[in-house]
Amino acid sequence: MTDGPVRDDTLMRDVVEMPAITQIEDRPAISLEADDALDGHTRRELIKEEREIAMRFHGGRTWVYAALTIGCFLVWLSFFPLAIMGLLGPLGLTIGFCFSAFVAAYGFIPSHEAMHSNVFPRGHKLYWLNELTGHLSTIPIALGFGVARLTHMEHHRHTNDPALDPDYTDGAENWWKAILKTWWNRQPGVEGSVHRYKRMMADMDTPASRRAVKQTTLLQLVMLGTFFSMAWSGYAIEVAVLWWLPRQVGLSWIRFWLSWAPHHPQERGRYQNTRIFKARLGYWASMAMEYHLIHHLYPGIPNHRQREAYHALKDVLRRQGVDVSAH
Amino acid sequence: MTEAIRKLFLIMPFLFGIGFIAPLTAQLMSYWNIEGPFGMSPIAFGLLFGGAWGIYANIKGRWL
Repeated sequence: MTDGPVRDDTLMRDVVEMPAITQIEDRPAISLEADDALDGHTRRELIKEEREIAMRFHGGRTWVYAALTIGCFLVWLSFFPLAIMGLLGPLGLTIGFCFSAFVAAYGFIPSHEAMHSNVFPRGHKLYWLNELTGHLSTIPIALGFGVARLTHMEHHRHTNDPALDPDYTDGAENWWKAILKTWWNRQPGVEGSVHRYKRMMADMDTPASRRAVKQTTLLQLVMLGTFFSMAWSGYAIEVAVLWWLPRQVGLSWIRFWLSWAPHHPQERGRYQNTRIFKARLGYWASMAMEYHLIHHLYPGIPNHRQREAYHALKDVLRRQGVDVSAH
Repeated sequence: MTEAIRKLFLIMPFLFGIGFIAPLTAQLMSYWNIEGPFGMSPIAFGLLFGGAWGIYANIKGRWL
């Protein structure tokens, strides 16, 4: 793989699980801290070794992502009629808020797998389940799957490019500024988050991007329509607790852990555009993003196998110049 | 239709102010037994508060 444009078939799995090895052109050796003597031949050999190991971690029990998404979505949806019927009460609303915030934040993981066609690959008879997973899991954050997928592919192609990476505006000097920015970028007049996504989709101006923008716009109108109608029907607190506030929490959580933490300080390069790090809140709280480098190298490895893949790849990554001291 | 929706989103902060913040404010005031200033009903206060905040967000481009 090069640092230039990435083909779609390397970002989304097809039925054939072993992607073709891309020819790498000879380049001058990249200066590394540990050893700057790696020439083109050594690089190719290391990447071949890397790929042979990485291929062992593609696939697996990815149907679990679909099952969890559908189950959690139905539970979340059930809170609304229960709230309108007055069956929740303060305790029920508290539980509803916690669950809704969890679904808003962690629903991005199955969506992310679906973006890469990792739940079921293209051509598989259950590929429709992959797409359903993607669509359902981002409803609580009112982000259409089309926009999510297209912008995410652009993020992979142009990681940390100030003009072309849709997530570039999530960058910040430190962790607390990053948290503030997750809120700031959602402000009506700020070019960040979904505003930036919609603008980039408009610039892309393809049939897929226009469809994606319409889909997200429709989803936002449905969300706002639900807010307004429930609020004016006497259920403003309920919809605030079950959708509005969980969405705010979820979006900030996603932006911090998926956009800022693994990409800070936004360097560029195959082994530099993301990193291996130790999250103070731990593996689960950080949405397994401690090993996000593995995802950028091999997007076909599902989220739950990235830690395992990292440990198998650790030695070859170290020889490539990656800082593996965190784990 | 597309143009109508685009114009709708241009004033969405204000619409959010009166469509969501206003009734939410009113219902929170009722829940906590807070009376509106100058004898205003909770919803009247909510509309004033939510509408003003929404207009502010529309003009400034941010809620705070």
